[in-house]
Amino acid sequence: MIKSRSAKVGDGFVAFICVLVILVCLLPLLNILARSLSSPEALIRNQVALWPVGLNFDAYKTVLSDSKYTWALAWTAILTVTCTIVSMFMTTICAYPLTYEHLKGRKFFNGMIIFTMYFSAGAIPNYLLNKALGLLDNPLVLVLPSCLSVFNMIIMRSFLYGIPESLRESAEIDGAGPIRTLVSIYLPLSKPVIATLSLFYAVGRWNGYSDALMYMVNARKYYPIQLLLYNILNSISSIEVATQEGFSAPGLSETLKSATVMFATIPILLIYPWLQKYFIVGATLGAVKE
Amino acid sequence: MKKKRVLSFLLAGLMTATMLSGCSSNNTDSKSTGTESTDSAATVTEPAASTTEPDENAEIIDGRFVETRKITVEVYDRSNDGGSKPEDNFFTDYIKEGMLRDHNVEVTYQIVPRWTETEVLNNLLAAGDAPDICVTYSYPTVQAYANMGGVTDLAPIIEEYWDYIPNLVNLLTEENIYYDLDPNTGTLWAVEARLFNRTPVVLFVREDWLNKLGLSEPKTMEEFEAMLYAFKDNAELLLGADADKMVPFSITTDVGFRMMDISESYIPNDITDKDYYIYSYDDRKLMFPSTKEAMRKLNEWYNAGLTWNDFAVHTDSGTVEGDTLIKAGYVGSLIQNSDQPYRNGDDGWTQSMMRMAGDDAAYITVAAFENEAGLYRKYMSSPVDRKVFFPASNSEPLASLLYLDWISKQENLTFLQTGEEGANHEVLPDGAIQSIAVTGEKIMNSQYNIDYTITCNGLHLENEELTLKSLALGYSGIDASYIERSFDVSEYSIRNIPHAVVGEIEAEQGMDTVLKEKRDNLLAQAVVASPDKFDSVWDAGMRDYLNSGGQAIIDERTAAWEAAYGDKVMLD
Amino acid sequence: MAKTQVIRGTERNRKMINQQKRLKTINYLKRYWTLYLLLCLPIIYFIVFRYIPMVYIQIAFKKYSIVQNVWEMEWAANFGFEHFIKAFTNRDFLYAVRNTIMLNLLDLILGFPAPVILAILLNELPFKKFKKFTQTVAYMPHFLSWVIISGMAVQLFAPTSGLVNNLLTQNGMNAIPFLNDSVHWVFTYVFLGIWQSVGWNTIIYLAAITSISPELYEAASVDGAGRLRKIWHITLVGLRPTIVTLLIMNMGHILGGGFDRPYAMGNKLVSDVSNVIPIFVYNYGIRGMQFSLSTAVGLFQSVVGLIFLMGSNAIAKRLGERGVW
Repeated sequence: MIKSRSAKVGDGFVAFICVLVILVCLLPLLNILARSLSSPEALIRNQVALWPVGLNFDAYKTVLSDSKYTWALAWTAILTVTCTIVSMFMTTICAYPLTYEHLKGRKFFNGMIIFTMYFSAGAIPNYLLNKALGLLDNPLVLVLPSCLSVFNMIIMRSFLYGIPESLRESAEIDGAGPIRTLVSIYLPLSKPVIATLSLFYAVGRWNGYSDALMYMVNARKYYPIQLLLYNILNSISSIEVATQEGFSAPGLSETLKSATVMFATIPILLIYPWLQKYFIVGATLGAVKE
Repeated sequence: MKKKRVLSFLLAGLMTATMLSGCSSNNTDSKSTGTESTDSAATVTEPAASTTEPDENAEIIDGRFVETRKITVEVYDRSNDGGSKPEDNFFTDYIKEGMLRDHNVEVTYQIVPRWTETEVLNNLLAAGDAPDICVTYSYPTVQAYANMGGVTDLAPIIEEYWDYIPNLVNLLTEENIYYDLDPNTGTLWAVEARLFNRTPVVLFVREDWLNKLGLSEPKTMEEFEAMLYAFKDNAELLLGADADKMVPFSITTDVGFRMMDISESYIPNDITDKDYYIYSYDDRKLMFPSTKEAMRKLNEWYNAGLTWNDFAVHTDSGTVEGDTLIKAGYVGSLIQNSDQPYRNGDDGWTQSMMRMAGDDAAYITVAAFENEAGLYRKYMSSPVDRKVFFPASNSEPLASLLYLDWISKQENLTFLQTGEEGANHEVLPDGAIQSIAVTGEKIMNSQYNIDYTITCNGLHLENEELTLKSLALGYSGIDASYIERSFDVSEYSIRNIPHAVVGEIEAEQGMDTVLKEKRDNLLAQAVVASPDKFDSVWDAGMRDYLNSGGQAIIDERTAAWEAAYGDKVMLD
Repeated sequence: MAKTQVIRGTERNRKMINQQKRLKTINYLKRYWTLYLLLCLPIIYFIVFRYIPMVYIQIAFKKYSIVQNVWEMEWAANFGFEHFIKAFTNRDFLYAVRNTIMLNLLDLILGFPAPVILAILLNELPFKKFKKFTQTVAYMPHFLSWVIISGMAVQLFAPTSGLVNNLLTQNGMNAIPFLNDSVHWVFTYVFLGIWQSVGWNTIIYLAAITSISPELYEAASVDGAGRLRKIWHITLVGLRPTIVTLLIMNMGHILGGGFDRPYAMGNKLVSDVSNVIPIFVYNYGIRGMQFSLSTAVGLFQSVVGLIFLMGSNAIAKRLGERGVW
């Protein structure tokens, strides 16, 4: 199909915007990458823009040779995969029944669930709860309390609404129970939303550290990588603490800080391109034969 | 009909929820009723002491318990790169062995992350899991916990076991032990660790720049200002291509601290102890009426381009200043702790400056700001440092006191602060202790193991002379003359401000962070304002500060002083 | 005679009706019991992890004590409303509420449409690989913590040493006070928020677009519709449910908002606009150890949020959309 001129101009405009977006989003990351590969002197002189000055792999050598970081990376990966699977399971079994309009008590369940999105008790009560459940310093504390996000559940439910009722009805006529319908009809059609929510959960777990900060104080081997990064970033701002304590900790260099940022960020960045193959157009097509 | 059913579902759900919560809170209940019964700790620990008295009478004279006692102690986890586990390392082994051997007390350490100390301690206290010995830098925190019934009163305990803690008394002195005694209620919620080797705030000036421009050290404010202008006007000569990066006098967002030397010179020389006490809630001298004029000076300098223009927009301005301006050699003068430029050896300011700006780059301490009586006046408060307290859940007060006593014993203190000979330090011919940088098992996670020597901040060896000699060695790569000069200048005209024992000031509760933020905002905004707006910005900010609790503190402090000391305005 | 007959008749009817209803319910449960089975785990999760700790919300009305459990604490003065009164008479709190609403509204007005527009643009891009690359790059800023972003922002936008202002002054123009003037700061704050989140937020819209049947586009082409028309009548219509759902949920967070962004981006010079409610709670509640106060403020935020949620949900329903519940 030959495109009209105005369509080509439109294409060009869109492409231009996309190039702008790429520049604006990529350049800052290139800056961090460059800083992580530069020499400390260059950073002091503020000479680093987009390209390393005084190419220097020391920071990465330190990070990669310290088993603390490599272990945390591996552990966080395992944790993220586990959490994503658990969360997706919980989200699906929560959203699916709520799509049945005639479900008795549906309004109650909806209300009860949404209420929790706005009302929460605070840090200390959650700590006491986790302690009572025996979850402190237990890897499960990074999985269970956050395994179901109401926001994500609502998104899944909205998406499932979009799947035509006629499919469900024909399945029921064929004698399939609700669970069978879920597995054989709804799930295969839900690939885009499952991919999206998996990404949300995975990224949320990978980037999150505030629960580990509070509940995982003693069990060091379960520290997620972002918690290590948080500690590094804090120990660098040592001047204020130094004034209070009367000594300056041997702070980590700027290069090490940038290297750790890269180290903690790159793995998760690589997931999205891999997930993109599930964002296929027309996922729900062909299922309904009008 | 449907509505009714929904309502009953709701009711059932809530009832179940409350029932379940009743169950779970019963679980935490047993612990908190445990702590509850000790909330009037004064009355409870005495009977406890008397029931264990027969056991303690069976202690052998060298202070060992008959049955092993157990205590937990708080220790900071700094998550240092290459650091050891704070709860289990070479030094904790030393302490544990020693405590077991000398007192038959088993010690375990509870780690608390340094950066989230308050939140984690709150959690532990709420759950009844707090360590037996806790440490904090902020007394209002202890007071807040105490008001909620979460802290053991130390007054009766210390009085009873006074004979068991000779080392503690020796190191802290009675002044520090009873520093926080409330004269009205007789309670003592915390003891104050002792601060040795104070490093007051002084002015540093670039020696090499003075030499290059043929200037002598400034001895007055006028000479200092002339020097700043000289730096600015000769930027090209001093910095060459980087002339536009010249910063004659540097500050950070902690403006009050960075102007301390100057603010102190504006305080009237004959200020009474009473007035000093009333205005000293803020540790950056904001409440002193004289500080406004000191800051006006800074406002003039800011508008004349004599200081770091962008200081206010950096959230971590201290680090940025240190790493990008000072180390690069762009800063002509600054006010800081008297040993700040000389710390950290290779990674420190002076060494870095020497690499970037030439071998002769160095900061010298200069006494430039005299007050109206012609004195280079420094106001020093009592040498207090961290507050050590026992949460109400502490069931072993004597064992805990013995721990504090043990780490204050000189021989143990020396080992903790200097480590093992040959591994952590070397002994020089004249007896001075030279630290060695250590990696691996014997590393010290904090300088001089301050995280373990919770009763002591600063090197404290067998005698003063040895301490000073060893301290000087701690600044590797720096010519000793700079250090000596710095210590000399800091000692010029010190006025020791005696501690006012007036009890709790309620108005100070919970205001710490809030007022500090307001202070820093006020100072930053006043400094960057244009000179004609300075007064209005300052006055508006001060009004807000006072209305938000500052005035209440001043009023209550005045009343408390008068209640404790009547008409006296000077303490001896 | 007739009366009793009628009464007995209606009684019998009622019994029959109740029996039928029960039969219906039993049949219903027999058929759909698995749905309730599926809901079991999530409900247990919500009760255990969300509702049980909510018992502590009553701290907002009590005098908090760290060593007592919540049932033992005393009630606060003024029928328990003392903390609320304290908050509302505190000038800092009122400013915090104002700032929170202002910043959230701006985020909504300027930041909500941005990912929709970007998603539509990306959808229009014919070059597949280019599209994939843009998508991947666009969502990278989401992974940077605000501490890092604010560091970079200062490097770019500082009044005298910032890169942008250097360029401006070198070319004879005046420096722009991006970070040191309140009004400018607000816009810098909002635009950095958009930069950080726009790529990430397009993901959901792109996923929604995949459900739009391509046949619709083809049919529209046949009818002679131009590109813009197609976007308006097909893409946006297809996105509408997602947009409405997300908008409703955002409205519920009008008094909320994170702590990280304003804390990292704020500085001493713009404190009158950068202090938002989470920072107020941090300074007074956590650092100042006034736990009851922070719970009271949190309760206030929740109630207002819920009101906004219900309001926008009702409006959406009235406009024919399916609400959030």
